[in-house]
Amino acid sequence: MKCTHCQLEFDETVMITEENNPDVYFCCNGCQGVYHLLKDDGLDSFYDKMGNSTIAPPVETDDNVENFDLESFKQRYIKITPDGFSKVDLVIEGIHCAACVWLNEKVLDSTDGILEANINFTNNKAKIIWDENTIKLSEIIEKIRSIGYNAYPYEQSVEDVKASSAQRDYFLRMAVAVFGSMNVMMIGVAKYAGYFSGIKPENLHLVHMAEFLFATIVLFYSGWIFFRGAYYGLKNKIVNMDLLVSGGATITYIYSLTVLFGAKGHSYFDSVAMIITFVLVGKYLEVLGKKSAVDAMDKIKSQVPLEATIVEDGVKRVVSLDEIVVGNIIEVKNGEKASVDGKSIVKESIYDESSLSGESLPVEKQEGDMIYSGTINSGMVMRYKATKNYANSTLSTMVNLLEDSLASKPKIEETTNELSKYFSMVIILLAIATYIGWYLYSGDLENALIITIAVIVIACPCALALATPIASLIGISWATERGLLFKEAKFIETFAKATTVVVDKTGTITNGNLTVKKQSKELNAQDVALLYAMVDSSTHPVSRSIKKYLEKEYTSIKIVELENIEQLGGRGLKAEYNGETLLGGNAKLLDEHYIELDYKSEYTLYHFIIGTRVVVSFELEDSVKKDSKEMINYFQKIGVEVIMATGDHAKVAKRVADEVGIKTVYSSISPKEKAELLISLKELGKTVVMVGDGINDALALSKADVAIAMGSGADVALAMSDVVVLNDSLKGIKESFIISRRTYTFIKQNLLLSLIYNIITIPLAMAGFVIPLVAALSMSLSSLLVVGNSMRIKKEEL
Amino acid sequence: MNSVLKLELIVGLFASFTMLAIVIWSIKKGDFDDSKRMMDGMLFDSEEDLQDAVNREKKQKALKEKKLKDIKNSKE
Repeated sequence: MKCTHCQLEFDETVMITEENNPDVYFCCNGCQGVYHLLKDDGLDSFYDKMGNSTIAPPVETDDNVENFDLESFKQRYIKITPDGFSKVDLVIEGIHCAACVWLNEKVLDSTDGILEANINFTNNKAKIIWDENTIKLSEIIEKIRSIGYNAYPYEQSVEDVKASSAQRDYFLRMAVAVFGSMNVMMIGVAKYAGYFSGIKPENLHLVHMAEFLFATIVLFYSGWIFFRGAYYGLKNKIVNMDLLVSGGATITYIYSLTVLFGAKGHSYFDSVAMIITFVLVGKYLEVLGKKSAVDAMDKIKSQVPLEATIVEDGVKRVVSLDEIVVGNIIEVKNGEKASVDGKSIVKESIYDESSLSGESLPVEKQEGDMIYSGTINSGMVMRYKATKNYANSTLSTMVNLLEDSLASKPKIEETTNELSKYFSMVIILLAIATYIGWYLYSGDLENALIITIAVIVIACPCALALATPIASLIGISWATERGLLFKEAKFIETFAKATTVVVDKTGTITNGNLTVKKQSKELNAQDVALLYAMVDSSTHPVSRSIKKYLEKEYTSIKIVELENIEQLGGRGLKAEYNGETLLGGNAKLLDEHYIELDYKSEYTLYHFIIGTRVVVSFELEDSVKKDSKEMINYFQKIGVEVIMATGDHAKVAKRVADEVGIKTVYSSISPKEKAELLISLKELGKTVVMVGDGINDALALSKADVAIAMGSGADVALAMSDVVVLNDSLKGIKESFIISRRTYTFIKQNLLLSLIYNIITIPLAMAGFVIPLVAALSMSLSSLLVVGNSMRIKKEEL
Repeated sequence: MNSVLKLELIVGLFASFTMLAIVIWSIKKGDFDDSKRMMDGMLFDSEEDLQDAVNREKKQKALKEKKLKDIKNSKE
């Protein structure tokens, strides 16, 4: 059953329903809240615009919005426009479709004091301009959070500006090239029609002149980057693709010029324009890839805390992260992130380490325990002593590692490029040989030149160049129809060759949130009311799960007010009601209050006690996704090794692995170790696919040959991934593998077809049996052959 | 015949180069920087969205006027 707000599929039993609104179902209170907010504000057309897209359910954030109004924040991120308004660049988290952008812009536009709210559909970055006297930035952020999204500031980096301007420059050149080619082709229709029906020489000259005009613009404006690339290549003594492209196009251009100014023969200005345009489109896609890598880095950097509070001689001072030195005492409030690594100096504290370990439960910290930068304090205000400065801390190291791996992501396509480079070299040599041979044989310079051009045209690696992209394109569109997004075509090939699949546990194999598995006994209405009030006062994942469970199980819960509510770090909660003490928490809490209870379970336990009476106990577990086992069985059956890598404890990891049938398990490993595991697997010669969803998986994802993320995963993980499974279903991973394998088979078939074509036609052209016009036609036919073959990819049921 | 062809070519070239100039201007303005907005944008171009755009312009104008007034008052 689908949640009315986020449209994700859930089991009917866990859905929240409304008595007076029987058609709506919600997976959580967050979705319910946002749904009503949108409905009340008349923004429910959002759901029509969403179509079949899904979004992540809204998550409550503990981050303090007041940070956005701090002076240091303003100095770093807020710029003043010439009109005197404030401007900030934000990364909006949780945007999954165009409707999300629409909703955010609509809500911000209708907010008083906001002049401009412009969100980029492609990279989810937003530029907001507002009047500081009417509204504060913190209020704007709260507005964004109220509709289920979140926003972080980012500093526009030099790389970002550079990548954006490169993207625009390439787009401009590409637009001019496409314009030129289209015109040349249209004029070409007249020219080729003239060959068959007859054309006056002066008219043909006119047509050539027009072609010359467009080809010149395309070659020297759009093709400029190839000349530049060839120049730098030669300067470094490298024969690169740019040299072949620009060289080939220039030779054809010069030959056509001689025809234009009186020499006998046919001009090939259309070929000049087409060669440049096709290769330029490919280059533009590369530039887009680089831009998205820069965007991914900005998303990661926006996770870094802005500043820290240090305590010196009892005086608190807010400093920027670079100012922190080893030995500083740092204070962290509830919901704040630790800025540098250090050791706790307070007796007890609780930290949410999910960003590092992926573990869903907060970790208890004793005095002397390590506090890692980037983890969130989920308990009371605490202090710790810095043992590292910011640059050497975990968070900064992770950011740097990610930056490095983004810059050096392996490129499988290089082999194909190498291949076509050799192919082009061989063709050029054959063409030269043909020219010399025919000149010596016939003594006719022009005839030799025409035959040589026929060889170049017929061998133009169009079919070869199309073999991979056209099959990939069809494979990718097929995958997209099924909610599987391949970010680049090359991952189809890599995925098809996969030998090992490494999967994360939390959120990938399991659902990533705790659900009540067992309730020890039934509750009366009064006990339910008290327990509900108790769990409602905490944001701990266990409390949240029990609250959700009670809301589902018991329809009308009486609201009661508890007194003296106290958080007992790592144990639970204590409160009072009508003079009686209420306790809710784990076994440690029972021991502390000398309450005896013999209740053992391998799952997470929660007990509720009134006075000394144990009212009820709950067993909670992170349930395994229903199609996990099917996916793992499939991979094992076809001989692909499946490994589980998780930051969770060995016991939990083992239980889940046994349930789904995974034999190799790596537990309690840090994000860095996870990444190292992938590197070592790759060193063993394996092609590794990594499936993950959390920030803690980002580093490992960046090291994988193919990185797959679940659609509802952390934005950072999505940014690092090569394939996104939009519907969060593990069946999607199996489907994308089948699609990849089938597509790869067709790529190989296409390559074989184009090879056979070349083996037959090149010798014919060299022997002088083919005139350039027929060569051009047969080249098109070979391309059609490849396209037609690729159409068959989708003819299989998944 | 030749002159007709010439005329056709001149008119055609003029029209196509004018369009190219408009596209170049639009690219330089940044209209094509966001490829997804370019593709999906038309889905959100309803009458209501256009009305929103008008309201936004009005709001911007009002805020700018208010700002100018504030600056003027603070100087006095």
